Amino acid sequence: MIEFENVSKTYPNGTEALRNISVKVDDGEFVFIVGQSGAGKSTFLKLITCEERPTSGEIIVGTKKLTELRRGEVPYLRRIMGMVFQDFRLINKMTVYENVAFAMHVVGASSRDIKKRVPYILSLVNLEEKAQCHPRELSGGEQQRVGLARALVNSPKILIADEPTGNVDPALSFEIVDLLTQINSRGTTVLMVTHEHSLVKHFQKRVVEINDGTIVSDVCNWEVDA
Amino acid sequence: MKNLRYLLREGVRNIWSNRTMSLASVGVLVSCLLLTGAAFLFSLNINAAMKSVEGNNSVKVYMKVNLPVLSSVKAGQEIKKLDNIKSCKFIPKDQAIENVMGMLGEKNANLLSGMTGKDNPLPDAYQVSFQDLSKYKETVSQIKKISGVESVNDYSDIAAKLTKVDHIISTVGFWVILLLSLVSLFIISNTIRATMFSRRLEINIMKSVGATNWFVRVPFIVEGVSIGLVSGLLGSFLLQLLYGSLTRTLTSITMFTPLPMDALAASITGWFILAGCLFGALGGIISIGRYLKKEGGDIVDW
Repeated sequence: MIEFENVSKTYPNGTEALRNISVKVDDGEFVFIVGQSGAGKSTFLKLITCEERPTSGEIIVGTKKLTELRRGEVPYLRRIMGMVFQDFRLINKMTVYENVAFAMHVVGASSRDIKKRVPYILSLVNLEEKAQCHPRELSGGEQQRVGLARALVNSPKILIADEPTGNVDPALSFEIVDLLTQINSRGTTVLMVTHEHSLVKHFQKRVVEINDGTIVSDVCNWEVDA
Repeated sequence: MKNLRYLLREGVRNIWSNRTMSLASVGVLVSCLLLTGAAFLFSLNINAAMKSVEGNNSVKVYMKVNLPVLSSVKAGQEIKKLDNIKSCKFIPKDQAIENVMGMLGEKNANLLSGMTGKDNPLPDAYQVSFQDLSKYKETVSQIKKISGVESVNDYSDIAAKLTKVDHIISTVGFWVILLLSLVSLFIISNTIRATMFSRRLEINIMKSVGATNWFVRVPFIVEGVSIGLVSGLLGSFLLQLLYGSLTRTLTSITMFTPLPMDALAASITGWFILAGCLFGALGGIISIGRYLKKEGGDIVDW
């Protein structure tokens, strides 16, 4: 569960990124976050991952109040999250397998667990045959699937995807979001920032629209369509 | 730590991927260690020389050249009568020239063959030792007043000069070493910073999947410590090589016998490795520390 209660965030340079927003995302939900550039979407995500602290208000992720979280506890909070980036963020000198295994090394997984888990996750995103390829040898869609595999490998409870389809062909965008919905159906909460209205329309999910630092709408697609 | 082997491997990989800067760091750190070691060895030798001079607790009293033996013996009796005298050993000039010939060796002793008997240019002398070193100067001046005494080989002057040289070397050495230490630290931390920038993406990803600061830090500390370790070993090896060659030269051209390296080698290597590792670790901690303090946007860079 992610809950924002009257959260505001003002940066030291005076920019008011978020203004008194309140929103609640239940476990297992799939939420599209939409809004124009500079609307406050990135700040919203940064507050969830504890990269930024709110100026006022309360944020709860799971059972943790983020305002009370100490610096040393932040890495452990991030271990319940998986992150997918628009620019994939893959390490080019590593193979697909190594890129995914890297995330497990970081959290102290044993070599045995890594050898068991990584091939399984790669098979989930249909990349088992590309395990020994380097990112440059893959298409945009495949690279994003590697990013997704890396985000999933530590079994996160929350998946945060920041415009994951921004750098892939429109046809592949549906494939990526389809994968996200499959992951969501297994119980993982998914927050996906996107600009693509076609995707939002196609996948009948909850849509939170942020504009000028405030939530201007919070609806479920099927409700709108109905 | 489960991942220690992984982190150690990453640290060594950092050095290889940034080998030019790593080599520069090793070079500067070795120079710093060599200078420190040289100053230390110099000081040790000076102290040993002073101890040997002071520990001797004796002076050589030279009689006037051509003074009759009886007068020399009489002067010796007067020396013995002084309060602070522990022993007073007569060294006749014939024995003195034999001693010199012995020091020159068989081949060169012939050079002095015409200087024996009446042609001996050396004076009679006494080896005098004192009971109380605090009365050193007072006793020496009393000896100088005795009739027939030409000069007293006063070691206190040598000791004072050695102390002065040691003080100068220590002071200059301290500032030079301090400066070089700062330069080494600067270069090591910049080397590691360069590695850090080349691995920025990896660090971002590490942070995003929940790496603790220590997990991010360890490979960079390993990099620094490895640079320090290599520098320590190399510095110690070079210092021993240089010291060995210098002492051989010194021993062949002067009477001075420097301290043997064998007794010092283990402790010098140990200290060099310790100092190198400390400097390396500190360089790593400094460079990564500031970066990790940022918990903000540019870690994940949304």
